[in-house]
Amino acid sequence: MGEENKGSSIAPELDAYTEFLKSESCRPLIGDAGEYGEGPLLRIKLTDIILKLCQANSLWPMTFGIACCAIEMMGTGMARFDISRYGSEVFRPSPRQSDLMIVAGTVNKKLAPVLLTLYEQMPSPKWVIAMGNCAISGGPFKVEDNYNVIEGVDKLIPVDVYVPGCPPRPEGLIEGILKVQEKITGTRHPLPQNRHPKSPLRKVKGLRVK
Amino acid sequence: MDNIIKNFKGFLIDQGFDAVETDYEQRGYHLEVVLTVTQVREFAKKAYELGFYLVFVAGFQVLADPETPSPHSGLAVVYQYARHDRQYRIKACALVPDSLEIPSISDIYQGADWHERETRDFYGIVFSGHHNLKPLLMADMDVDVHPLLKEEAKLKSLDAVSWPSEAPESTE
Amino acid sequence: MLESEYQEQNRFFLNMGPQHPSTHGVLLIVLEMNGEYVLDPQPVLGFIHRMHEKMGESRPCPGFMPNTGRMDYVCALPYNHGYVSLIERKAGIEVPERAEYIRVITSELNRIASHLLWLGAYLLDLGAFTPILYGFDDREHILDILESVTGSRLTYSYYRFGGVCQDIDEKFVERTRAFIKRLRKRYGIYEKLVTKNIIFIKRTENIGIVSPDMALRYGMTGPNLRGSGISYDIRKNEPYSVYPEFDFEVPVGRQGDCLDRYMVRVREIEQCLRIIEQALDRLPEGPIRSKVPKNIKLSPGDCNFAVEAARGELSYYLIGDGTSTPYRLKVRVPSYSNLSCLPELGRGILLPDLVSILGSFDLVIPEIDR
Repeated sequence: MGEENKGSSIAPELDAYTEFLKSESCRPLIGDAGEYGEGPLLRIKLTDIILKLCQANSLWPMTFGIACCAIEMMGTGMARFDISRYGSEVFRPSPRQSDLMIVAGTVNKKLAPVLLTLYEQMPSPKWVIAMGNCAISGGPFKVEDNYNVIEGVDKLIPVDVYVPGCPPRPEGLIEGILKVQEKITGTRHPLPQNRHPKSPLRKVKGLRVK
Repeated sequence: MDNIIKNFKGFLIDQGFDAVETDYEQRGYHLEVVLTVTQVREFAKKAYELGFYLVFVAGFQVLADPETPSPHSGLAVVYQYARHDRQYRIKACALVPDSLEIPSISDIYQGADWHERETRDFYGIVFSGHHNLKPLLMADMDVDVHPLLKEEAKLKSLDAVSWPSEAPESTE
Repeated sequence: MLESEYQEQNRFFLNMGPQHPSTHGVLLIVLEMNGEYVLDPQPVLGFIHRMHEKMGESRPCPGFMPNTGRMDYVCALPYNHGYVSLIERKAGIEVPERAEYIRVITSELNRIASHLLWLGAYLLDLGAFTPILYGFDDREHILDILESVTGSRLTYSYYRFGGVCQDIDEKFVERTRAFIKRLRKRYGIYEKLVTKNIIFIKRTENIGIVSPDMALRYGMTGPNLRGSGISYDIRKNEPYSVYPEFDFEVPVGRQGDCLDRYMVRVREIEQCLRIIEQALDRLPEGPIRSKVPKNIKLSPGDCNFAVEAARGELSYYLIGDGTSTPYRLKVRVPSYSNLSCLPELGRGILLPDLVSILGSFDLVIPEIDR
């Protein structure tokens, strides 16, 4: 197959690609496998960038409405605010199909084990948004004689982005999702939403970015 | 039956209950009934026969006073009944004895089931005869935690939280 | 194999929730199943118990206002209404007429928003996606109107003891009138899209029949009770605020199945519009807040106030002890009693029917757990 392709138009691009693979930016790195082995062993930069772009632009949130914030979360998905503009409209009822958990509400003692189970059932890589004051710190329920409410969901699971408000407006949640995208790719509005002048992708040779 | 409701107070007194008419504008209910522990079920049966529905069951705590003629644990249960066809609201109140046991009405009004479980959660009142007195709102591990019980210093006597003068529970 | 053995082998337990899209929140229902038939559904509550009653008795009474908006967040203003009216009754505070009119207008707008949300969510449970898009579209218009006076979209604390915190202006009246016109137009769309849909009718007719006696035993209230043919609405039967001045009907159903509960709510939207129209026409001039002592003292004794929330009867029961902090504050929420009939109602039905019944009850779980 290789011989047949020699004269074809793909060849120069292939060459460029081979060159590119040899270059500095694609040198395999020893992956940060992490303490629990959640990261990859070997990491190739370009694949990494593309993978992250894909992840950031198709976050699949889990339908996990707990309290008041859940209504705003629903509102975010509906016609006016339309979260699908940012690629995360596919609310999944099962944690096994989702990679973004939006903790929209108060977590109490009885719910905490459930939350942990759900988090553990989500496949890696996964992100968590703590939506609303209850999920951030206990919010209005952080009182002196609190006997039931967990004061902040970050006491149970790692949280990536906090969206304050009681409840936050849908615009707030959208901003939270943009922040998650920024955290994943290192750039706000990653491709294809916005051709950002500072995008690291512009520096990658061989990748056509307009 | 209309006649009974019209003179419901008289009817209840004939039946041996302690009932007092109250000012609706001031309190939001028309009739106040003080029940003894043995009357709780009897009253619920009467109310059901006459077509009342159960609004809620709730507990509250006052300072236990062993000096009074009828010693109680300081806990009390409030039942509220109302009607669909006319504006008539009854508050019935029963003091819980030292054994913390009060008969359950969940077989007369099935809706009382959850209300009683909730009251057990909050105050530790045991509703004898209830078929499933497990924690409802609290986690299973908190079976012995009763969050709405007050500290000794914050408790007030029954008189201090009742309407003055002819309010019957103040004479208890 | 004996039939009983076969039955025994087919028995299994199924956990529905706490994270399940059609339980409308974190409600767990432990289902004992036989094949696809439900033998015994047992709801497990408490996953969102937020200590509202404890907080009510640990701080001075104005401090509980934000909590009232967070119990039933879909229809928060009637909860505000019940609480301020309770304290007003207890402390003997007079409310200016204009404030009561504003309360009624905003409460009814909120009730429509709640019913629209329910309509969308219920149809989503039954597998239709379009109504929720339409419902949310109309609901956003209400939220815009309410936001302009209350300052928030969802968890309102708009009412104050002795009045409301902000007056409504000409623009508010104008926008509300425009909205009424709009919703009347959209009414036909819902009718065509949902009410006459054969699939919807098959999923709801004769399903989950609540008899009047059963409703009485469980203390059901609100549209769920009215679906069973009993005309009981606190706004009519135990009038509060300025409701007696308005002309409106209480829609009732025939036999108490899911379709009746649906019809009652849909027809209630029209009645809400009528109330709002009349209130806007007769809106009196005047102050919106009366003079209220800074430190409200709650005299010893108990007091009760019931209002009609979107889901049924909401009762606040307060015991005062002479300080400004309630000695005991009990909140009787409608969904609590409404849901408690599920173990009896759900015996021996198909699992998809259980979803239909749950949806028709219009549950808000944080309201149940408090």
